[in-house]
Amino acid sequence: MQIHTSSFSLPTSTPKPKPFRPIIASSFSISDQDLQSRGFTQHRSSTDLDLDALNTIFARVGFPRRDLTRIRRALDHSSSLLWLSHSKPGEPVAFARATGDGVFNAVVWDVVVDPSFQGIGLGRAVMERIVADLRGMGIVNIALYAEPRVIGFYRPLGFAADPDGIKGMVFSKKNIINRAS
Amino acid sequence: MRDEAPTRMIWREDCSFSRKRRIELCPLRAGFWDSIRSGFLKNNNTQVVETPTTLLEDEEPLPQEIVLLERTQSDGIVEQIVFSSAGDVDLYDLQTLCDKVGWPRRPLSKVAASLKNSYLVATLHSITRLPDAGTERKQLIGMARATSDHAFNATIWDVLVDPSYQGQGLGKALVEQLIRALLQRDIGNITLFADSKVVDFYKNLGFEADPEGIKGMFWFPRF
Repeated sequence: MQIHTSSFSLPTSTPKPKPFRPIIASSFSISDQDLQSRGFTQHRSSTDLDLDALNTIFARVGFPRRDLTRIRRALDHSSSLLWLSHSKPGEPVAFARATGDGVFNAVVWDVVVDPSFQGIGLGRAVMERIVADLRGMGIVNIALYAEPRVIGFYRPLGFAADPDGIKGMVFSKKNIINRAS
Repeated sequence: MRDEAPTRMIWREDCSFSRKRRIELCPLRAGFWDSIRSGFLKNNNTQVVETPTTLLEDEEPLPQEIVLLERTQSDGIVEQIVFSSAGDVDLYDLQTLCDKVGWPRRPLSKVAASLKNSYLVATLHSITRLPDAGTERKQLIGMARATSDHAFNATIWDVLVDPSYQGQGLGKALVEQLIRALLQRDIGNITLFADSKVVDFYKNLGFEADPEGIKGMFWFPRF
């Protein structure tokens, strides 16, 4: 699947309206062909995904290991997901998923690259495609939560922190308990 | 200014009342509903539908309706403010509400889809009834929704309260109950993105901005 740059037609004073062509992102930093020639397979469904292997990558990058049933449920209810496999089918070497309402908002979660495959652009490859998938659904409000050390990774992908002072916030049960006592 | 009969609080135990506010609603506590259930149902005919406190594994909690407050006006009209997690939203009512708070209009079909694809849609309705009449009028005065992967994370969007009902703690109650519903469903990570003006509002509800330096980021925001 090759993505080409399309031109964007603005309605002018011409009587016939031109068909709307959305702006598609320019070619990915690593093309689909390049990914394939380097031995990576793209998957957009979690059917063949080895959940235990996913859990292992999570653990390797410092995420918590999670209950497999809940991982299954989370994947089934993610509006978009993408993972790359290499030599071992079913074993992810890069992964990302997004949740949302399918029309207005999306949040990207669990972006991981296996440590042995880091540094060659796979994180970027996965993120560019997830964003393109979400934009293809018409979603332009795409958000995520970034640890301090990866804010620099997301910036060149087009993400900005705290735009216009908007803050990402997380509910903490301990805040409630502390206040009440 | 019309004289109103005193407003009756539905929640009484474990409430922390701020001197500034005429009406204050309670923070969430475990076992709270059990402790007050017998207390406030005695002398009134308030309808409160409770979810069962014990859930079978993998069983979704029932949608919940809670009367947040009830007040009787001097003309005898009784008004109840009711929270519901059933997501019963009339699209046109919602559009009217969004107009009132000054939000730009969005295509109704997309709004419908966004609600359908949300994990939880919570509403506040004002229900007014005349003392002797059987009829009641139901008006949407608040809404909030959350998207989720049904397992780990939820994100709250679109919290709104009718301006004529603001300043009474209803927005706080709406979000509190939504959080409660999410926690009941074992969603451990509840998140949201707050405009700078409402960061303090959410801090008071137990939200933390940039926890451990983690930043909310947006893709090419249109600002």
